[in-house]
Amino acid sequence: MSKVALKDLRKSFGAVEVIKGIDLTVEAGEFCVFVGPSGCGKSTLLRMISGLEEQSSGHIEIGGRDVSHKEPSERGIAMVFQNYALYPHLTVRENIGFGLSLARTPKDEIRRKVDKVAETLQLGDYLDRKPKALSGGQRQRVAIGRAIVRDPEVFLFDEPLSNLDAALRSQMRIELTDLHARLGATMIYVTHDQVEAMTMADKIVVLNGGRIEQVGTPMELYDTPATPFVAGFIGSPRMNLYEGRVARERGCTTYGIRPEHLHISETEGTWKGQVRHIERLGADTILHLEMDELGEMLARVDGSRSFRPGQAIFATPDESREVRF
Amino acid sequence: MTRRQTLLGLLALGGAFVIFVIPFLFVLLNAMKTAQDASQLDFSLPERWVFWQNLVTTIQTRDYALLLAYWNSIVITVGAMTLLVITGAMVGYIVQRRPSPVTRIVYMVALSGLMIPPAVVPTIWLLQSIGLFKTLNGMILIQCAYGMGFTVLLYRSFIATIPRELDEAAIIDGAKPWQVFFKVVLPLLKPVTLTIIVVQSITIFNDFTHPLYYLPGRENITVQLTLYNFQSQFVTQMNLLFMNILLITIPPLIVFIFFNRQIVAGMTSGAVKG
Repeated sequence: MSKVALKDLRKSFGAVEVIKGIDLTVEAGEFCVFVGPSGCGKSTLLRMISGLEEQSSGHIEIGGRDVSHKEPSERGIAMVFQNYALYPHLTVRENIGFGLSLARTPKDEIRRKVDKVAETLQLGDYLDRKPKALSGGQRQRVAIGRAIVRDPEVFLFDEPLSNLDAALRSQMRIELTDLHARLGATMIYVTHDQVEAMTMADKIVVLNGGRIEQVGTPMELYDTPATPFVAGFIGSPRMNLYEGRVARERGCTTYGIRPEHLHISETEGTWKGQVRHIERLGADTILHLEMDELGEMLARVDGSRSFRPGQAIFATPDESREVRF
Repeated sequence: MTRRQTLLGLLALGGAFVIFVIPFLFVLLNAMKTAQDASQLDFSLPERWVFWQNLVTTIQTRDYALLLAYWNSIVITVGAMTLLVITGAMVGYIVQRRPSPVTRIVYMVALSGLMIPPAVVPTIWLLQSIGLFKTLNGMILIQCAYGMGFTVLLYRSFIATIPRELDEAAIIDGAKPWQVFFKVVLPLLKPVTLTIIVVQSITIFNDFTHPLYYLPGRENITVQLTLYNFQSQFVTQMNLLFMNILLITIPPLIVFIFFNRQIVAGMTSGAVKG
């Protein structure tokens, strides 16, 4: 369990600068999620921490050691890839023990360690199978096992769940959170899915265009976003953001209100409009509204209320939850 | 199947029979004839069946030259194949994984081996000056050079289908570059390696012109050159010549029959992502 510190980290590919100076500290034992739209540099940042990509300038410290120019294997990290990256010609046992056998660990010890990891991840029955005989979730567990067996100071995950179906994904989210609680290791997790970020993270780092937009706990980002970008990115459905007259009237350049913080009434309210489209999720209903003054607006209402397309409604914001930039 | 399809199928089979099977039957029949009978060069059953006698004579001719030729050809084929597979896979791997101006030039040079015809006389000068002319070692290097373009081309396109994350996972596991290649990449190249071994070993084993240019001398004879044993300006022993053809055709034929499935699999793998 070690602290990770990034100091003015930069990366350019040719003339294009993709990471534009990152300063960040991930505390020991923390579950930190890098989140952002595709192309924001989150994977590049992770690959720089792993040592697979060399930084153009800046420093990386893991556990107080400067590892900026160290080989990946000397950094005390383990990485889990999006497509699992299991060696197809080796069995599950050989896959998990590959790193140990490269380090010339005695055979008995490899066997003992692999058995222990397999037990933790419930892979005992599959140790003699090849990866192609496993399901997606099992493959991902083997990839995680390969990381655990190295007993790293820091775990790195590069979108590990995006190849799984929705049900398996939510199950693996819980397994990963459990694993983090059990191992207590520092974990850095990259995803473009803000749901994964919100549900798993101790700390979320929102990246945009190679810069950090905001760092904070999930609820900090949800309640007090620092920029319109973070406000729009965190939370589902996304926050309603408005510029222009509405914002000026409220003394800001961008005004935001989340769909769940709108009160919808059929008789009176701040803004008038009509229902354009209805998404029923069961417990909740998402209304796509066309407001006379503001244009498009999303609202989340209780699933028991009924609406029909074309119906005239009024929306009133909860003033304590408004966001102004 | 419609009548038309059946008819076309039969026609194709007939064509293949005429092109591939009839010449082989011709060789087989004439290999079993007496010298006088075979000199007619006609498609008829032998008057007297002398298969065994022809076989023994062919092998014994010129102090067992055929056996020496087999030995030489096998040494050249095995030596050249070993070199070709290991160096070709390494070049293909580096060219595919580390694109840079240097590797692009290396790839162009490898491909030019497929496009530019070999210059025989300068090659002989070079071999003479480094003392490799008329040696099996020299011949192994020549065959390796001639096969390199095709081998690198095939390996490169196959390696492109192996995810780069596998290399990276191995690097994080602590593998040195040579361990990444030998422990992770090379084992995954088995299908294309089989293809290359079959295609190239048959080509090298059956090569006639290159040993003719670069490997003169009685003790350096290779299988295809044994055909000259029975052909001279004045007397040509057709029955023994055909027996010789039969003997040197059989080994590649067996290899081909057993491995043709792998050849097709290896040629098409890499073409479409699986």
